[in-house]
Amino acid sequence: MILTSANTLENKEIIEYKGLVTGEALIGANIYKDLFSGVRDVVGGRTSTYEEEIKKARDIALESMEEKAEQLGANAIIGLKIAYDNLGGTMGNTILITTYGTAIKYE
Amino acid sequence: MNIDKQRMANLQKAFNSIVIGTVAGLATYAFFLYFNIAIFGWNLGLLFAPLVAGYAETFVANKLIGENIGAISAFILFIVTVVYGFIIANPTLGYNIITIGSIAIIIQAAIPTFINYFIIVVIFGTLSYLTGFFKKILDKIKYTIFPEKKKEDIIDTVPLFNERESNELINSQDFIYITSTDPIDLDYEIIGFFYTTSIASRNTRIIKLSPEKIERQQLNDLKKGKDECLIRLADKIKSSGGNAVIDLDIVYFLNGLGGSDFQIIARGMGVKIKEEHPTS
Repeated sequence: MILTSANTLENKEIIEYKGLVTGEALIGANIYKDLFSGVRDVVGGRTSTYEEEIKKARDIALESMEEKAEQLGANAIIGLKIAYDNLGGTMGNTILITTYGTAIKYE
Repeated sequence: MNIDKQRMANLQKAFNSIVIGTVAGLATYAFFLYFNIAIFGWNLGLLFAPLVAGYAETFVANKLIGENIGAISAFILFIVTVVYGFIIANPTLGYNIITIGSIAIIIQAAIPTFINYFIIVVIFGTLSYLTGFFKKILDKIKYTIFPEKKKEDIIDTVPLFNERESNELINSQDFIYITSTDPIDLDYEIIGFFYTTSIASRNTRIIKLSPEKIERQQLNDLKKGKDECLIRLADKIKSSGGNAVIDLDIVYFLNGLGGSDFQIIARGMGVKIKEEHPTS
């Protein structure tokens, strides 16, 4: 599965537009992790726990999106967009990660 | 010039009112001190002198100028009584609950609208929001009157969102969603800009669940809202003669009081793709 944010795939011909595929994931349930991350912020270290959580969530969203593309019979996703939104929650740490793109079939 | 004179006259009257108020307050304080009218050693003059001052001033100001000038003499009396009562006459008596109480009363007398707003709206509002106190009372009344209408407040399980079904639903409408800004291999005709929005409210009934379940519920609501938005966008464009959307954007953000709602927007250029070109 090729993922690209561009409009086309270079040197490849798009033979069919399959449709929209989306993936969403939320993080921020674990308040203790958040607190720990806050402490790290104050101390000055990188908030690696938080970074990892975001990465994990993004992977979930991307995987869900790829699964849907496969379901549609696509072999690439173009026009990929990834957005991070704060949805409030405890300490404002509920982050919504959304990925979406156009599933296509190329040759 | 005339206006300035009028203003000066009013200022003079206001000053007079303050002086009258202050004198009335001082007289009251002296009266309370002389007769030693006190409860548990705490002279009631501390409370009544500023009140009398404020009342007298307001009364005189209303008579002279026709408007309220803010009970400045109450402040003066407050300072006088505190300095005299707590520092000069009784230096051992420091800050205590009575002092705080009298401060509150004085301030309330001076700027009633602001203080009442602060007490009723801000403090009670925050407390009631945090504890759900008023809602509990109202619910109790409601359920006493209409007992049969009480609903189960706790949802135990949050079902997993059916991604497969949602994907099929979105992509089976004879309509093509394209996120690319300019699909160069397609021959299309632009119809116009379209957007739809849907709102997903935070489900407050699941407040007693674990945070993970709340998150899953939120995510489900958001996904449902997104599907709804996309379908409506497709319907809108189709009714304008289009068969696809390009440069599709899906945006999520918080809305409502204290972020109580999620708003979802789907927007893009409605287009008509010519038949001979590849679409599913």
